[in-house]
Amino acid sequence: MTRNHTAYQPKGSEVTAEADYVVVGTGAGGAAAAVTLARAGASVLLVEAGPWRDPHDYAHSTYGALRDMMDDWGSTITMGRALWPVVQARLVGGTTVINSAICVRTPADVFEEWARDHGVGITAVGGRTFAERLGSYQDQLERELCVAETGPDALGRSNELALKGDAAAGYEGHIIRRYAKGCIGSGQCLQGCSSMKKQSTNLNYIPETLSLGGAILSCAPVDRIVWDGDRAVGVTGRFLHPQSREKGATFHARAKKAVFIAASATWSPVILQKSGVKHKAVGAGFRAHPGTGVFGIYDDPVDMNRGVTQGWASTRFRKEPGLKLETLSIPMEMAISRLAGGGKALMERIAGYRHIAMWVHALRARTAGRVDVGWTGRPVVRYGLDEADMRGFREGMWRVAQLHFAAGARAVVPGITGLPYSLERKDVDCIANGPLNPQNYVAILSHLFGGCTMGADPSRSVCDDAGRVHGRRSLYVADASIFPDNIGVNPQHTIMSLAMDIATRALG
Amino acid sequence: MTPLIRSTMCDLLPAAAGLPGLAETGIDAFLARLHRETTGLTWLGLCLGALVYTLTPVLTVYIPLPHFALPQRLRDQHAERIMATRIYLVRQAVFLLKMYACMCWGQDDAVRRLLNVAPYPVDPGTFRASSADIPAIAP
Repeated sequence: MTRNHTAYQPKGSEVTAEADYVVVGTGAGGAAAAVTLARAGASVLLVEAGPWRDPHDYAHSTYGALRDMMDDWGSTITMGRALWPVVQARLVGGTTVINSAICVRTPADVFEEWARDHGVGITAVGGRTFAERLGSYQDQLERELCVAETGPDALGRSNELALKGDAAAGYEGHIIRRYAKGCIGSGQCLQGCSSMKKQSTNLNYIPETLSLGGAILSCAPVDRIVWDGDRAVGVTGRFLHPQSREKGATFHARAKKAVFIAASATWSPVILQKSGVKHKAVGAGFRAHPGTGVFGIYDDPVDMNRGVTQGWASTRFRKEPGLKLETLSIPMEMAISRLAGGGKALMERIAGYRHIAMWVHALRARTAGRVDVGWTGRPVVRYGLDEADMRGFREGMWRVAQLHFAAGARAVVPGITGLPYSLERKDVDCIANGPLNPQNYVAILSHLFGGCTMGADPSRSVCDDAGRVHGRRSLYVADASIFPDNIGVNPQHTIMSLAMDIATRALG
Repeated sequence: MTPLIRSTMCDLLPAAAGLPGLAETGIDAFLARLHRETTGLTWLGLCLGALVYTLTPVLTVYIPLPHFALPQRLRDQHAERIMATRIYLVRQAVFLLKMYACMCWGQDDAVRRLLNVAPYPVDPGTFRASSADIPAIAP
C-alpha cells in the first residue's frame, strides 16, 4: 500500500491492496477489530462501503442525513405484516456516526443465556472467562472513548421531565452514559455530531489504525469474498460514487492472514451468501429491538430539540416484558411526520410542537427473522413480531405514556391507528388494550442482531465464539450479526468488546 | 408526476394555525433536488403515493374526484382521513409523501424560528475524496 486512504476511483482502472488482515466495515465491530489488530503490529486494510465524511462534512438536516449517511436513503424496510424501517448508516464509522453513543455494559444474564442456549463462551481463554474478557475490554473502551454521563447543562427539558416522571413513577431510570466527551447538548446525534463531542469510530479507532500503518478503501462496497479453496484470501467489489451512484473501478483487497467481516447484521450475511457460504444458518436468527415513541403534551414549552438527543433511560422492565425506556428527541421534521393526520388538522397539531416531548421504548423481541440477498443484491429483511411480542410492544407504549403523566403531561399522543389522536390520563388504558396488529403502529428497528450467529453447534450456527466461520479458514465475523440472541440494551459496547476479543484471539 | 407529488404534499401541509404552508417553503426546489438525488425506488414510491392520494377521495369524502378537484374543506378532510384509513398500504404510501413533505417544510428557516428550533446551516454534501491526509485522532 502506498496510500492510506483510497476513495472512489472511476472505471478504467483496478485498485489492488494487500495487508495481513482485511476488515470489511468500519462501524463499532470493524473499527474495534481493526485497531486491536493494528495495535498488535499487524497491517490492516479497512474496506468501507460508504464514503468518509468528517464532522465538517456532516449533514445538518434530516434530508441531508438520509442522503449522505444512511444506507440507501434509509429505504431498507422489513418485509412482513408491517413495513418498518431498518436504521443503518453507510459511511466510515458506520452507525456509530448516527447513533446516540449510548454505552451499556453487557448484562450478566446475556452471558448466561448465550452459554446455556448456544454454547457460547463456555471455554476460558488465557484463564479468563468470556464475561471477564469482555468486561475488561469494556473497561478499556470506557477509558479510551471517554464514557460519561451527560452533564446537567446539556440535558434539556425533555430529559429533565423524564427524570421528574421517573422519580414519581419509580421506573428506576438513570442519566445515560455515552461515548461523548463534554457533550454540549446540541441535539444533533442522529445527523452526526458536528461539534466532535460524540466519539464515533471515524474520530478515533479508524484514524489510529491508519496512523499505525493501516489503510482504508472508502466508497467500496464488497461484492464477495475471494477464496483459495476453503481459505478466505481477500474481498473484491467495485467502487460506488456516493453522490452519482455510478459504479467505478474494481478493487481487490488481499489478506495475507485473514478476512474479518463486520458489515452489519443485514450486510454481513448477504456478503457470506453472495460468496458461496451455503449454510441454512446464514441469514437466519435475525433479531432486533423494535421500538416506537409516545409524545407527551405539556402545558409549558419543552423545546425537545434543545439538549442531548437521549439523556434518560430505564431498564427496570428489561427482563419482563423486555423493555428499555428512553428519551429520544428526533429532528423536528421527523417528529411532526409522526403526528397523525394531514391538512389543516395536522397544522394545528404542529402548532403545538414546542409543548411536546418524545419518549420511546425498545422491545427485546423474541421473534426471529431472516436476511437474504434480494434480486438487487441488497439485503431483504423478513421480520414480523408475533402476538406475544406485540403485547410487550403495546405495554412499552403504555409505560411510556404513564411516565409522561407522572412527569406532568396533560395528554399523550400514542400514534396508534384506530385510537384517538390524544389521550388524557383517564383514558391511557386504551393503549394497554390497543390493537395487536403491527400495522397499527409506526415503529423502527434500530438495534439489529443475528444472521451469522455464533454457537458451538456448526449445524445451527455460522461461526464459533471466536468469530471463526464454521468450515472455512481465515474468515471471521466480528459484528452484531454473530449475536445469537438480542440483549435488551444498546449493543455498541457489547459489539466493540466482542470484536476486540475476536481480533485478539485471531492474533493468537 | 412531479406536479401531482407537489399538489399532494401541499394538501398535507397547508397554511394554517399561523404557520406557513408547504407551498411557501421552497417545495419546487426541494422536489427538483429530491428527484435528482434520491434513488429510483424512493421516487417511484413517491409517485405511487401521489397517485393513491389523488384517486382515493372516493374512500374518504365519498366523492369520485381527484383530490385537486375538491373544494378546500374537502381537501382538508381527505388529507386528514386518508392518513387514518384502514387500508395499510394506502396509509403507508401516503406516509412516505408526508415524511418528505415534513422534511422540506421543517428545514425552512422561518418555520424553524416559529417553532423555536435552531435553523439548519446548508448541508455540505461533501466527503473525503482525496487520499492525501490521515485525520488527527480526536482530542
